[in-house]
Amino acid sequence: MIETIYVEDAIQNHPKTKFILNKFKKSRIISINKYGEIFNKRNQNFRIQKANPCLILAHKKDNFVLPAPEGFGIGSSKNFYFSHMYNCIYDCRYCFLQGMYSSANYVIFVNFEDFDISIEKIIKNNLNTKVTFFSGYDCDSLALENVTGFAKHILSIFRKYPQIEIEFRTKSIQKEPFLSLKPMRNVILAYSLMPELMSNSLDNKAPSISKRIRVISQLASKGWKIGLRFDPLIHGENWKELYQELLENIYNNISIDNLHSVSFGSLRFPKRMFRDIFKLYPHEPLFSSPLSLNNKMISYDIEIEEEMTSFCKNLSLKYINEGQIFKCSI
Amino acid sequence: MNNLKKMKNSIRWVVALKEEAQVILDYYKLKPINEKTIYPIYKNEEETHWLIICGIGRNNAAASTAYLYSYSKASIYTSWINIGIAGSDKGNYGDLYLVDKISTYERKKSTYPSTMPKSTLPKMHLFTSDIPISDYTSYELIDMEGSAFFDIASKLTSKEFICLMKVISDGPKNDIKEITKSKISNLIKVNLYKIIDVVSYYERISEAEFLIIDKPELFYDIKSKWHFSATQSYRLETLLRRIETFCNKKDIEKTIKNCETSNSVINVLNTKIKNNLVNWSKF
Ligand code: SF4
Repeated sequence: MIETIYVEDAIQNHPKTKFILNKFKKSRIISINKYGEIFNKRNQNFRIQKANPCLILAHKKDNFVLPAPEGFGIGSSKNFYFSHMYNCIYDCRYCFLQGMYSSANYVIFVNFEDFDISIEKIIKNNLNTKVTFFSGYDCDSLALENVTGFAKHILSIFRKYPQIEIEFRTKSIQKEPFLSLKPMRNVILAYSLMPELMSNSLDNKAPSISKRIRVISQLASKGWKIGLRFDPLIHGENWKELYQELLENIYNNISIDNLHSVSFGSLRFPKRMFRDIFKLYPHEPLFSSPLSLNNKMISYDIEIEEEMTSFCKNLSLKYINEGQIFKCSI
Repeated sequence: MNNLKKMKNSIRWVVALKEEAQVILDYYKLKPINEKTIYPIYKNEEETHWLIICGIGRNNAAASTAYLYSYSKASIYTSWINIGIAGSDKGNYGDLYLVDKISTYERKKSTYPSTMPKSTLPKMHLFTSDIPISDYTSYELIDMEGSAFFDIASKLTSKEFICLMKVISDGPKNDIKEITKSKISNLIKVNLYKIIDVVSYYERISEAEFLIIDKPELFYDIKSKWHFSATQSYRLETLLRRIETFCNKKDIEKTIKNCETSNSVINVLNTKIKNNLVNWSKF
C-alpha cells in the first residue's frame, strides 16, 4: 500500500500519471514542483523510508539512455541502459541503490515516449552493430510492471528491431506481459538468483528462489529467452553445496534451448558506498563476511571470488556452452 | 563513560503557547528546568522529553528550536514534535491533523514533512503566515510557526524524525477572536490520546535509531586498555560491529587478550573476520 504519492505539477495530466493514480485510489496525492524537492535531499533516513516508501511521479528531462558501465555486457559490442524508475520495492541487503540514493521513495518517470525517442535514435545510429539495452539499472525492471506497464510499452519498440537485444533484469515473478505475448527472440528475461538459504536472509521482500525458478521455467517453456544472473555470488558456510544444488535445480528444470546466457558477478562495493550501507545496517550478517578493501573496492579476496566463479562456471559447463557464460565485473 | 546508554528515546517539543503545552507537560511529567533560559524549557526526570515554549511567530519558532537543540544536547536520533492550534475552513473544529506539506508567502518552494506511517489521522497542507489570517479560503491549515520549526529541525535530524500536528481552533464559523486560554488547553486535551499515540511512534524510531548508532558494547572497554588513534578507533568500532553478529563478548575478549598494541588488536579482529564463514542457516 502506497500511502502518499507526490506528483510533479507538469505531469498532473499526463495519461500515464492518470493511469498510475487510478491504481492507488486511497493514497494521498500531494502536488510538487520538481521530484528533487522530495527525492535524494539531504537529511533523509533511507532505512525508515524503506519501511514505508512514498511514490513520486515525475518527468524525466534528459539522459534517458546511457552507455552501460564497462563489464556489464552479455556479448554485444555496445551496451546501453535506461531506467524508467529509481529505487525498488525489494530490499536486498547488497543492493547498491541503498548507498546511491539517500531516499528510499520510488520515482517513476511517466514520459515513456521520451525513452522511445532516445532508444530509437541509438538503434538507428547503430544498425550494423550488435547492441544490447538493459532495462532497469536503477530499479528492478519488472517488479512494478503491474503499476507502470513500462515493459509492455517498451517491447513495442524492440519488436520493430529484432536484431537489437533488450534485457529485463529482475527478481520479480511478474509473468505479464510476457505470458500473453508471442515470444521475441531479441528479448532476454534475466533473473538474479542465489541459493535459497542466502536469499532468505538477503533478498528481503523479494519472491523466494523457488518461486522465481517456477516462473523462469514457465516463461522458458513458452519460448522466451532466459538469462541467469548469479550476481552477486555470496560466500559462506557450505557455499559449494548450496550453489551446486541451486545450479543443478535450475538447469534440470528449465528448457536449456531457451537459455540465452548465464553470468556470474562478484560482491563489490565502492568504499564510500559500503560505508553508507554499513551505517544503515551495521548488524547485518553479510557485513560479517570476509570482505576487505581490494583495489578501492570492498569485496571478497580475489582468491575467494575466483574460486566461486570457476566452481559455478565449471558446473554450468556440464549443461551449457562456454560462449553462453559471462562474467559481470562492474 | 557512555552516557548515551542510559537514554533510550529522545523527544523534543516546540510549542508556541503555554496553554497548548500544559496538557503535554502534565502527561509527560515535564518540570521547568532550574536555570534561567531565553525561552521557558521543561524536561522529564529521565531527560528523554524536553519541551520549549517558543512564543508566537516564525522567528521565535526558529530560534527556540535551535536553542533547545543545543541546550538539551539533542542528538541525530532525537525526534522533534511541533504541536499547536491552527485555523482552517477545510477541516473540523477540534480535530487533530498531521502536516505533510508546508508553504509560506516568502518562499516559492514548499517543504514536505514526512508523516508517521499507517496513521488514521487526516493530513493537511499547512500555510505558515507572519500575520493572523482571517480569509481561510485559500489554505487547508494556517499557523504562524510550522515552517520555521520544520526548516530548523530538518537541519538537525532526518525529516522522518520530525512531526507537526495541528488542532483546528478557528475558521469561518469559529472566530479567531473568541479563542481563550482555556479553549486552547481544552482543544489539546481532547486530542491527548491521539497525540500520545503519534509520539509513541517517534519514541520508537528514536530508540531504534539509537540502538543502531550506539557504539558496540566492548568499544569503550577495549579503548580503555590500549591507545587508539582516531582512525584506529573508527576501524575498531567497525570491526566490532561486524564481529558482534557471529561472536559473543567473551569470545572477542579472549581473542584479543594477549594483544600488546592497538594495532595488534585490529589485526587480530581483522583475521577473525577474514576467517569467518557466515552460517546462512542462522539468519
Ligand atoms: S531487486 Fe535489485 S534493485 Fe531491487 S533491491 Fe534487490 S538488488 Fe536492489
